[in-house]
Amino acid sequence: MTEKKGASMRTLIVIPAYNEAANLEKLIDDIVNYGENIDYIIINDCSTDDSLEVLNRCGANYINLPVNLGIGGAVQTGYRYAVCKRYDIAVQIDGDGQHDVSYLRDILAPLEKEEADIVIGSRFLNKKGFQSTFTRRIGISFLSGLIRILTGIRIYDVTSGYRAVSGKYLALYAEHYPTDYPEPEAIVKAVTWGACIKEVPVAMKAREKGHSSISGMSSVYYMIKVTLAVILCKLQGK
Amino acid sequence: MSATLRIVLIVGVLLYFIIVYIMLKKKLLVLKYTLLWLLTGIVMLVLVLFPGLLERTTHLLGIELPINGLFTFGIGFMLIILMALTSIVSKQAEKIRVLTQQLALIEKEIKEKNKGERYK
Repeated sequence: MTEKKGASMRTLIVIPAYNEAANLEKLIDDIVNYGENIDYIIINDCSTDDSLEVLNRCGANYINLPVNLGIGGAVQTGYRYAVCKRYDIAVQIDGDGQHDVSYLRDILAPLEKEEADIVIGSRFLNKKGFQSTFTRRIGISFLSGLIRILTGIRIYDVTSGYRAVSGKYLALYAEHYPTDYPEPEAIVKAVTWGACIKEVPVAMKAREKGHSSISGMSSVYYMIKVTLAVILCKLQGK
Repeated sequence: MSATLRIVLIVGVLLYFIIVYIMLKKKLLVLKYTLLWLLTGIVMLVLVLFPGLLERTTHLLGIELPINGLFTFGIGFMLIILMALTSIVSKQAEKIRVLTQQLALIEKEIKEKNKGERYK
């Protein structure tokens, strides 16, 4: 059997989860059944539902945050755990079950072949699967354009949490990761650090159970905040 | 409003924005908690650049002098910011309490585990 370059890279799936008790069991099953024997860590962001019971019942590998940090803090916890346990690659898969585990190989391949430092799974490259709501797509499109103006890099699905990061940039993220609405800002941060970012097509599923954390009026606040945050991130440089 | 006063106010607001920008850039301020300050600055700037608007809103409140109107708005915004900060501090106090207790409980657990092993 030929040894693929980078096949010995240790990979960890980071699963931030806040009140996703209904989705967790299936997600863990999907990961275990994926067959590649990849490690995972679920970050329970101080959920107020019975996520903890579900995790204990399934014998899942998890970290319990004593205080709610939000998705930025939860993902960063996963990255710190990855660095601590000497993983080479960390892949984020959201606890709500929207990220399809079957695309894992597509996301990891460019990292293992050392073609990129960060890979983002994009809903919009092939336009397959759940494409999100119309208003959200406008917002994402705007942010995508803004990021291109600021960094010169064109990423289409800037809010996708389905992304993997390797090596030096994993260590950097473990130290410095944005707290609120982190996905677009994290891209700009990585570019100022000199990372090579690649986008691969994935299909996502619509959220099955539970509630999204961004809706209605908060989306106006979201747009203003993320726009300012992204611009500030670029201005702050390294 | 006299021309001198207008110039002083405009320079003041611009200086304010420069200071806030520098502090943000140096990461002395976190964007999330600075948003209200930015909103205040924008409203102040608009009122100072358009004295007609300031006059109208001032008279709407029953205040005579536009400069007093500006002060009132300034004080109003500061109250909002202070209230927001108090709310943030309250939440943080709660989080610190939880962390302290959790930390103490973990320490206790570790001590008990060590004690158990010593007598094996």
